[in-house]
Amino acid sequence: MKTGWKSLPLRHETLLLLVLVAEWLIFYFTGTTVKRGHTFGFGTFDSQFDILRHSAEIGLLALVMTPVVLTGGIDLSVGSTLGLGAIVFGLLWQSVGLPPWLAAIGAIGLGGLAGGLNATLITRLRLPPLIVTLGTFSLYRGLAEAITQGSITYTGFPASVLALGQGRLLALPTQVWVLVLVAVGAWLLVHRTTLGRSFRAIGLAPEGARYAGLPVERRVALAYILAGLIAGLAGVIYTARLGQARADAGTGYELAAITAVVLGGTSIFGGTGSIHGTLLGVAAIAVLNNGLIHTGIPREWAGILTGALLLIALTASAAAKALAKRRGM
Amino acid sequence: MKRYARELSVLGALVLILAVLAVAAPSFFQLDPLRSHFTREVPTLLVACGAALVIICRQIDISVGSQFGVCGVVTGLLAGAHVPLPLCALASIAAGAAMGAINGALVAGLRLPSIVVTLATMVIWREGLRLAQQGQFINLPADAVWFGLPLATGQTVELVAALGILAALTWASTRLTAGRYIYAVGSDAEAARLAGISPTRVTFGVFVLMGALAGLAALANAVQSPQVDPKSGTGLELKAIAAAVVGGVAVTGGRGRLWGVLCGLLLLVTINPALTYLHVAAYWEKAIQGAIILLAVVADGWRPRSA
Repeated sequence: MKTGWKSLPLRHETLLLLVLVAEWLIFYFTGTTVKRGHTFGFGTFDSQFDILRHSAEIGLLALVMTPVVLTGGIDLSVGSTLGLGAIVFGLLWQSVGLPPWLAAIGAIGLGGLAGGLNATLITRLRLPPLIVTLGTFSLYRGLAEAITQGSITYTGFPASVLALGQGRLLALPTQVWVLVLVAVGAWLLVHRTTLGRSFRAIGLAPEGARYAGLPVERRVALAYILAGLIAGLAGVIYTARLGQARADAGTGYELAAITAVVLGGTSIFGGTGSIHGTLLGVAAIAVLNNGLIHTGIPREWAGILTGALLLIALTASAAAKALAKRRGM
Repeated sequence: MKRYARELSVLGALVLILAVLAVAAPSFFQLDPLRSHFTREVPTLLVACGAALVIICRQIDISVGSQFGVCGVVTGLLAGAHVPLPLCALASIAAGAAMGAINGALVAGLRLPSIVVTLATMVIWREGLRLAQQGQFINLPADAVWFGLPLATGQTVELVAALGILAALTWASTRLTAGRYIYAVGSDAEAARLAGISPTRVTFGVFVLMGALAGLAALANAVQSPQVDPKSGTGLELKAIAAAVVGGVAVTGGRGRLWGVLCGLLLLVTINPALTYLHVAAYWEKAIQGAIILLAVVADGWRPRSA
């Protein structure tokens, strides 16, 4: 399915890749210092690993947000699900006494349930995703607060848990392998299966997809359940990285994830977009955040520039579409 | 009566909570704490009215919390420099309207999706404010706090003013042509256009009005304490949208009443003190608010089929 503007060499993803490379090079040359043969700042492996480590959770959320947005929906509750997952992970391990791996499965399962509630309300009752997930955004965060009574912080996790968030495996930060695994899985799902193709079909034309015999409700439900499951997993990784589980874990992550998805070229109305675009979006934001720290520019600029980039990306893709329409393609 | 079923059911739930409180914890009904509590929600009410009009116009604005923060700082800096309060108010409203105009130009002019535009401007204003202010509080001169009035009088003035603005907005949105246009564009922009209404202008106007209300709300918030917190307004957008939705504003556009928004907000903000007086742990507040939002949309989803 080729639309006019997408067949142009100026594809959104290509442009974003150029922006990312430019960004990286600028920071490499301005944010790196070499003293007596030792490299400091942005260009070091440590700093690059730091970028990867810190983008794992938002990266995971953005990856699973992509199918949701492709279907024309949105999930504002993933950040809260992350927080609830972190708390349940801590609770199951510390208060119930489960081994960490079982507690992690519990957290992921609970994330799946959270996604399932979103899915039920959205597909069975046909309620607007924006408002349903606004409600569960509040509900899940509220449950996390109620469980911890607003004050309990679970800490003292064993080395096996911390290894996931702070250690390295085969040279890379451990959680990056999880991110890679989920990214490959999501890419294959969205771009190489009929199941994943149906997400875009539903986003482009829900009624058309229904008449084409697609089980629209089931597919949409799947997208939200996946989002919940992975948000639960992200909660475990978040806890492992910080060594503590608190009710406010992942506050605001939903908006960061949506920003990455839209920056990555996925239309907020659904139908068009890609997993690799989302990954580029996550990387562009992460490099910006990290790079500014090393160049000594106030880090608030990261947010300002991300917002500006988002507006430019939107305007550019709207202009490209208008152009394609005028050419009658 | 049936036209107002949605709003009346929210009002009914509110009355029910108040009735339970009247029996179980009559000490809830004390004038001073109640007045203080509700005055604290005046800024949210003003923002929620704007959010409701934006949603009725079938758009969304999640940058209002950041606009609120910026306007609060504008008010604080001007009041701190001993600029007369009415001028501070004008400046705050103008700043909000200007930020709203930017959203409006991007959404109505360039036809970009409002959720992403306002997501971007939300981050830009918030981070820009943090860059400029570095989290520093701004001291207000004593004659600006509560408009220089005694506490109780100041609170009463603010409550009455807020209700007056609500009444005016309710009247304007239902009785003025411009107000009806918002509903028309929200119900069906194409039909509105064919009827000679310019959806571009109406949408732009609604975003400007939203910004102006955010500026007014920021002023109402700033005068409540001797210091202005530049972080204030964080998360306000979702609270305002929640109040509008609970109050019966449909996210599909074209439907909703501003006095319903008042009921929705009252329901949401009565929970917390109610929990305290009923000796239920207050940590449940957010979870219950979430449940109420879900209940409200579920009720909305069911109605069209039973009707």
